[in-house]
Amino acid sequence: MNRRFLIAVLLLWSLGPLMWQIYTSLSSDQALTQPFALADHRWTLVHYRNVLTSNPPFWRYLLNSLIVGISSTFLCLLLALPAAYALNRISTRLAIFSRLALVGAALFPYVLLFLGLLELARTFNLGNQLLALSLPYAALSQPLAILLLNSAFHDLPPELEDAAKLEGLSLFQRFRWILIPLISPATASTAILVFLFSWNEYPIALTWISDSSKLTLPVAMARIAGSSIYSVPYGAYAAATVLGSIPLVLLVLIFQKPIVSGLTSGAVKG
Amino acid sequence: MTLQIQDLGRCVGQNWIVRHVNLQVDDGECVALVGPSGCGKSTTLRLIAGLDDVSEGEILFDQINVTHAKATQRAVGMVFQSYALLPHLSVFDNLELGLRVRGVRPSDRQQRIQDMLDLVQLQSRADVLPAQLSGGQRQRVALARALLRDPDVYLLDEPMSNLDAQLREELRPELRRLVLNRQKPVIHVTHDQHEAMAIADRIAVLHSGRIQQVATPAELYQHPETLFIAKFIGRPQINCLRPNNGVVCAIRPESLFFAKEGLPCKLMSREWLGSSQLLYLDSPQGPLRLSCSPSVDIPEVLHVSWSASDEHHFDASSGCRLP
Repeated sequence: MNRRFLIAVLLLWSLGPLMWQIYTSLSSDQALTQPFALADHRWTLVHYRNVLTSNPPFWRYLLNSLIVGISSTFLCLLLALPAAYALNRISTRLAIFSRLALVGAALFPYVLLFLGLLELARTFNLGNQLLALSLPYAALSQPLAILLLNSAFHDLPPELEDAAKLEGLSLFQRFRWILIPLISPATASTAILVFLFSWNEYPIALTWISDSSKLTLPVAMARIAGSSIYSVPYGAYAAATVLGSIPLVLLVLIFQKPIVSGLTSGAVKG
Repeated sequence: MTLQIQDLGRCVGQNWIVRHVNLQVDDGECVALVGPSGCGKSTTLRLIAGLDDVSEGEILFDQINVTHAKATQRAVGMVFQSYALLPHLSVFDNLELGLRVRGVRPSDRQQRIQDMLDLVQLQSRADVLPAQLSGGQRQRVALARALLRDPDVYLLDEPMSNLDAQLREELRPELRRLVLNRQKPVIHVTHDQHEAMAIADRIAVLHSGRIQQVATPAELYQHPETLFIAKFIGRPQINCLRPNNGVVCAIRPESLFFAKEGLPCKLMSREWLGSSQLLYLDSPQGPLRLSCSPSVDIPEVLHVSWSASDEHHFDASSGCRLP
């Protein structure tokens, strides 16, 4: 089969739903329910206006999600970077055991934890606090982040650090000048994965936050979509989806290069 | 400044990687550590640098025991086989990093790096990344970094084995000029015996984790203590005759000559090497290598002989030299 055709099919498969959302968000309610009737007002921005002027306005949720996403990514990397480094320095047997435990934790369905997390939130008064959400998010992303960063550390030639030791660089200085810069591609791709997880997370956000001005994006969207089972606000929902994807698209575009090289690093010994 | 190593050993699990290593290197002396791969050369170097933990024995820098001092606290300048330059920093920044963490003032740093780049003839390449340099240039940057450290001891871990043969020969005198003039002990690890003989004042031969002999290149060549050293030092390799009563007799290829009477041989093949020729012979005592001037005519009926003083005798089972 033709290569171009295959690529076209794949593009349609992955971009189709996104295009449909954009199309829906720009169509008037009338056009959505009667697609073949020729209406005067076929295209409209009214859904965007409704979403952005509602109370609280939709950008508030974007901001909330952004705050939670950035703080959980930061917290996660802060803990995962030293842990991933240490995993290469401990004895082989302990390292194998630790990696197995991490893989187990990474594969564990986190939804099963959420009742326990709810108890914790109640005990420590973490409910309705935006930044508190980054605690479970950073913790749940930890196993995968450690494993990814660990393989990046593992791929660094050990002589680089040896040479730095002989130059007199302390552990912290080696981190600052050598290790962090050299694994930045892997750090970028790990950061994106953690950020995505926090951006998309639903059950914990739903149960920890009830104050409507502190909702994160997924919960806020669910409220729009499920406002009534008799009239589903397709247009508003689609507009919210499009707005919610824009920051992610921007993020991936900005970090495109390090992400791709980070995801494929270690595949071929350089 | 004297480097002393006493009964040094490193054990990993049940295996001794090196053991009972004794060595003293004086000011301005260069000792080459040679041996086949896996014999513990690099491990010995790493122990001296403090990059690996010592299991037994002591390392003294000028009578000061540094056996368990951290690598960051030892004044050691090391050049790695892979150069170990930081790929994300320019040549200048690579050299500056060490000075900066050791607290040298910025104006001082600039001056010292500039001087060092002049010395290794890389003035114009200060701002490029290591990846844009040739192998020989990278080697010189790594050397410059070690020199800027102004260490008590220089450790060179196969510093030239990633370079081609011609470049190696060009860099050898430069290495002498730069490192050996510093009046500090130098340990040069190499698997290339030519390099060892050309650079080192003394050579230490390491075999399965033990030092077999430490001697000047000439002594090592003329009086090898073991059969292993006799075979390892000198190319073309020494000839070993069939063991007789538990004694191996070994003769250097250049000590053999054609004679009217002697060991009858058959010519198998011949290599012309420019300044000499190498003949591969087959004899009742096993295959022999004979090296002679290219002008020597090869007789039709070959008889090979040698003088008794050129014979080296070794114990066949232990490999030790017999008187």
